[in-house]
Amino acid sequence: MTIRNALRDHGQRYRPRMACLKKAEKVLLEMQDPCTGVKSQPQRLVITIIPHAITGEDIIAWLADRFQIDAQEARSFGSMLVALGYIYPLQDHKRLVIKPDASLYRFQTPYFWPTQQWPVEDTDYAIYLAKRNIRKKGILELHEQEQYNHLHKWMNHKWDFVVMQAKEQYRAAKERKKPDRVVFDCQERAYWVVHRPPPGTVSAMDYGLDRRTDPNTDETQTPDYYERIMIFTQQSIMRPRVKSSVSIGALVKYSATYSGHDPFLSKCLPSSPWLTDDTTYWTMNMSNVEIPTKMRVERWTFSFKELLSDPRGRDDFRLFLKKEFSGENLAFWEGCEDLKWGTAVTMREKAEQIYKTFLARGAPRWINIDGKTMEITVKGLKHPHRYVLDAAQTHIYMLMKKDSYGRYLKSPVFKETLKKAICPEEHKFNEVQLEQNARNRRPSLSPIIIRQQEQEQRAKMAANAPVDITQLCRFTTPVPHLAVYTGIPDPPSVTASPSLPFLAHTPVCPSPISVALDSTSASERRMEASDGEGNAEVRAPEGGNLSKSRMALSLRRLLKRGCSPSAMFASLSPKCHTAATTSSRIQPITPDEPSQAPPRRIGNFFQIKVDIPPECRIYPIESEDEDEENRPASRDAVVTEEIICPWESLTRQNGTG
Amino acid sequence: MGKEECKTMLDALNKVTACYRHLVIALGSTSDSQNLREELKKTRKKAQELAVANRTKLTTLLKDKTISKDDRAEYERLWVLFSSSMELLEVDMKRSLEIGQDFPLKVPTRHLIQTGMTGSTNAVAARAMSVQNMKYEADSNIDTADLRDLQTEITQVSQMMEEMEMKVQVAPWAVVAKQEAGAELKSNMSVGNSSVGVISICEEEPKDDEGGGGREGGSGSIGAVVVFFVIVAVALVLGYLVVNM
Repeated sequence: MTIRNALRDHGQRYRPRMACLKKAEKVLLEMQDPCTGVKSQPQRLVITIIPHAITGEDIIAWLADRFQIDAQEARSFGSMLVALGYIYPLQDHKRLVIKPDASLYRFQTPYFWPTQQWPVEDTDYAIYLAKRNIRKKGILELHEQEQYNHLHKWMNHKWDFVVMQAKEQYRAAKERKKPDRVVFDCQERAYWVVHRPPPGTVSAMDYGLDRRTDPNTDETQTPDYYERIMIFTQQSIMRPRVKSSVSIGALVKYSATYSGHDPFLSKCLPSSPWLTDDTTYWTMNMSNVEIPTKMRVERWTFSFKELLSDPRGRDDFRLFLKKEFSGENLAFWEGCEDLKWGTAVTMREKAEQIYKTFLARGAPRWINIDGKTMEITVKGLKHPHRYVLDAAQTHIYMLMKKDSYGRYLKSPVFKETLKKAICPEEHKFNEVQLEQNARNRRPSLSPIIIRQQEQEQRAKMAANAPVDITQLCRFTTPVPHLAVYTGIPDPPSVTASPSLPFLAHTPVCPSPISVALDSTSASERRMEASDGEGNAEVRAPEGGNLSKSRMALSLRRLLKRGCSPSAMFASLSPKCHTAATTSSRIQPITPDEPSQAPPRRIGNFFQIKVDIPPECRIYPIESEDEDEENRPASRDAVVTEEIICPWESLTRQNGTG
Repeated sequence: MGKEECKTMLDALNKVTACYRHLVIALGSTSDSQNLREELKKTRKKAQELAVANRTKLTTLLKDKTISKDDRAEYERLWVLFSSSMELLEVDMKRSLEIGQDFPLKVPTRHLIQTGMTGSTNAVAARAMSVQNMKYEADSNIDTADLRDLQTEITQVSQMMEEMEMKVQVAPWAVVAKQEAGAELKSNMSVGNSSVGVISICEEEPKDDEGGGGREGGSGSIGAVVVFFVIVAVALVLGYLVVNM
């Protein structure tokens, strides 16, 4: 029973146009001419003589003569005719090629010709297998047996019909004379070799996916049809054009670079698994392999995209970045990719996670992007979607490409990898070994298992993710990273306090602070302690305009430098003292409690954690954030507001924060 | 009983479908001829008659609400057999139309494909029509005239099949087959006899069938040789006697 839904029917059920078939049929008909066609000879079997057998060399000679082509091309044309099933070999029936010697072939009857409009039915195949079963008295080949069992299982409801029809067809075939019976058996077998190829071979009639429209119907010339043509031509006109010298030059460059790496055009070391059934090539090039091949490493030097798209290359690059302490860029980029390609359900959490880890002020793995991009990103994060981090990701990608990639290629990490890379020997299999390989083919690891392994690995990596040692944890340094916000409308919202986490490359949270910013943190701690409790945000306005303006001043001074974080590290250390002093100036003003009503975001920065636990907690602690925000009076609330996702807090004006 | 009738009719339809397929396979090849076209026509007509008869019978049986569950399951099975036969028949008819149009017989330079089949298909057609010998009485332009009939018949069959699907609510996938895998081997047909006569196909399976063929040929030739020697011995004896006399 067919259910037709014409309106929204996007089902793909039509076989594609196979224009070569009609052309091949014309050639076949020409070959039949008694005068100008291919010469045929009788085939002598044990008792009978069957006419109309043709030799391979005759076919090739005829094709070369008819189309005025050389022998090699005629041979491949002939092989194509055999592979499609118009001519079948009488000896060696499983190999559908033309041999340029005296081996015999015969023409196939038109019913068994490949056609576009008549798909090959499994019912027919089942009937054929049943007939063959009868003829061979139960001894079928291995792949035939497998197919038989498979068909019996899923076509079970038709099995009675299959058996009945097989018997009837067998009996009907017996009614013919012996030579005709032989020919018929050959024909049918050849037909099924083409359309249900034995393992290790490919059917020439493979066409990929079914199409949505039926190529056999004529398209009606409705107004809609003409409108589509008009839209197409309009869009073609509007398309930006590239000079052909440029585009061709790019093509030539691409071909020259990649031709050695293309397994179709050049040798595939050790051997192409599709040809020899030997999977060494794939196991050597797996994503988690220790020692990559030389070809693979060479590919990494072609472009940054190649390096990143190869998982092993990415690992290498990650190792290099770790040594350079700029691993957060790659981690951010990967996080963005994850967001783009992930499921819609997890998108929101992922976006939050990425923001908290990489983008927010005081984030543990803060990345350095310019203020404009940061603005756009944070604004977009209010309503996160798949591509919200695209601008930032592109920025970081270009940063890595222009900066780190070049250094990577000159680095000892890469040189080491290059030195260790292996160049495998080419396999030389003889016929027997090839057949053995074909028999020993086993399915590889299921993609479900591979995906699970990848996820475990990723989780492991995320768990061990280094908090960038250059960054202090948020609890000790509430201060935002000034370099990020160049165009902040609300100056006081950015603390001038350069008690930045960048300072020293010391491992754990408390130490850098204590070492580098002893005074600041101490002063801050004092501040917190004195504050006593809760309303964190209150802090901010408390400072009074005086301190604010001073803050603003120092902030502007800092901003004028326009320095990158690394430069900041150096430049800010002297600053920290001034900042410390400024922040210390805040101290006396402490007691002014929550006079300023709207708790502005800025307050949080000055107002460090009310009670900071002596040991600093290392990020990430996301899980607490949500409920913490709901407890304004709690100490933790203060802390979490540090890295609050902008789209969550509607009351606070941290639009740009 | 209704079931037995149905089964015999279905068997007949099955036989005719199988024979029709054999005939269509011969179309366009060197064993094509006017006779073949006529055989095709006759077989087709017979198939249609059987199809209509089967359909009416089965629809009445299935529409009957008072039958038991087992009976209904059985009828559904028969229905699946019938519809599968009809599908095959429809496809074969459409294909014979195409091939018939591509290979007309009455053209001056006709290129039939040299498939190696040269014999005629009378026996197959006779089997389909359940007669001893086929009689050919059609006129010479049957190949073109028949095609028009064929087109109308194809539309008829398609309509019939659509009606069938609409009227009878049978879920074909729910039917359980009675035959298990390999049931075709348990037939009571003389499989053994046929294999003796089959010769090796294309010189490639000498082990399977060559033995069979060789056996028969060998026994024949040995018999002949033995007879020959007997006759020679007798002649020698007689000659000896004649000479001695």
